[in-house]
Amino acid sequence: MEDRIIMTIQSVLDKRPLITLDSHLLEDLRVDSLDKLMILSALEDEFAITISEDDFADVVTIKDIVMKLKARGFFAGGAATI
Amino acid sequence: MDLRDFYTRLSVDESLAEVMGYNPYYQKIDSGLNARILVNGHEMIDLASNNYLGLAADNRVKQAAMEAIKKYGVSLCGTPIATGYIDLFQQLEKKLSHFIELEETIILPSCYQANNGLFNCIAGPKDLIIVDRLVHSSLIEGIKSTGSKIRPFLHNNLEHLEGILQRSMGYRQVFVVTESVFSTEGSIAPFKEIVQLCEKYEAMPIIDDSHGIGVLGKSGRGILEEQRIAGYRGIYTASLGKAFANSGGMISGEKKLINYLKYYCSHLVYSTALTPAVLAGISSVLDIIHFEFSGIKKKLINKQRQIYEALLEGGFKVVYSKAPMNSIQTGSKEATFILNRKLYEKGILSTPFIEPAVPISEGRVRLIAGASLSQDTVDEAVAIIKRIGFS
Repeated sequence: MEDRIIMTIQSVLDKRPLITLDSHLLEDLRVDSLDKLMILSALEDEFAITISEDDFADVVTIKDIVMKLKARGFFAGGAATI
Repeated sequence: MDLRDFYTRLSVDESLAEVMGYNPYYQKIDSGLNARILVNGHEMIDLASNNYLGLAADNRVKQAAMEAIKKYGVSLCGTPIATGYIDLFQQLEKKLSHFIELEETIILPSCYQANNGLFNCIAGPKDLIIVDRLVHSSLIEGIKSTGSKIRPFLHNNLEHLEGILQRSMGYRQVFVVTESVFSTEGSIAPFKEIVQLCEKYEAMPIIDDSHGIGVLGKSGRGILEEQRIAGYRGIYTASLGKAFANSGGMISGEKKLINYLKYYCSHLVYSTALTPAVLAGISSVLDIIHFEFSGIKKKLINKQRQIYEALLEGGFKVVYSKAPMNSIQTGSKEATFILNRKLYEKGILSTPFIEPAVPISEGRVRLIAGASLSQDTVDEAVAIIKRIGFS
């Protein structure tokens, strides 16, 4: 599942280094607020979920995004509103 | 609560300028956009302004502005809805509508205000706004003010855009927002295809043609003419302070939209109307474009090409552009400031772009060689650019 999340994020971060779970959004991937919106939108599409931007305001690394999704029960299966 | 705390919060991070020993912003200009401009008392070559057609200091435009001042004074001291709607204002609305071949137009004090004011009139929380990743801050700020769902798409990437459109169900209205010429890159939107996608998915296209109007198209009518987009039913905004060499912004589209904005767009209703001198100046530029555009455009393209070739020869990484500007990829903000300063020290005024105006570490230095620059001036700029590149 982590791989799928990483692939989804990589698809909207063109011209960036290879993404790992430890990648920092700002320092490593130079993600700004619009990039972040693109990431959240791509995840919504990929997993058929609805994400609230506010819930992801404090994420720093890719791992943080994965943890947020897990914490909200996404990996339990099925579509969800987060 | 303490006023000192308030003012402490307002501190500007000037560390970059301090480290570089140079601040490229708010340079004091002591002249008009003449053959050479005076910057901090030094004569310089202007490759920074958006004076594409070189009409900012044209005698005919100045004359038209002076005649308007003689007749109306310097201001009508009112908003367009009150005392600002003079005959010149109404005539210019019609002239601009006719020029870009759309039904009606409103004129605002700036395109920033046009873009800011437009969105919160037409969109709200039930809507989706799909926007190119690299659009101008004025569009982003306008879009954010609506509370709509925002989904950026990869720059000029039709496949990504269509993917988002396919999955955009259940909204009251979907808007697709882009620019014609992206001002930091010089890239041009595939707007005809974007309009076609909008038709397919019943979305409303919105284009900011600020760097296209007066520049693109066979007769300078902008992106719609350039890409032969007939019967455009979307929304159009543009600056009147770039190729049109004055100031102000416009929103054009169908009569129903424009009439609505005339009463509900706060940025129009509550802003003092453009001054008579500016209205007459823009009108005069439109007349010049009508008669002289092809000749001016040739000069503009020729100058851009000379600068482009000099940059390549000097070893700079330049973004290839079909628009009459050259954008050098400088990367970090430090490298961007360094190149901008080198150019400045050798007598060329250029425009640096660092984050947040561009994505992080995608700094640019932009050069626009206006049509009115003399060949001697361009030769000198070419020599300077090559020298800097070789050093």
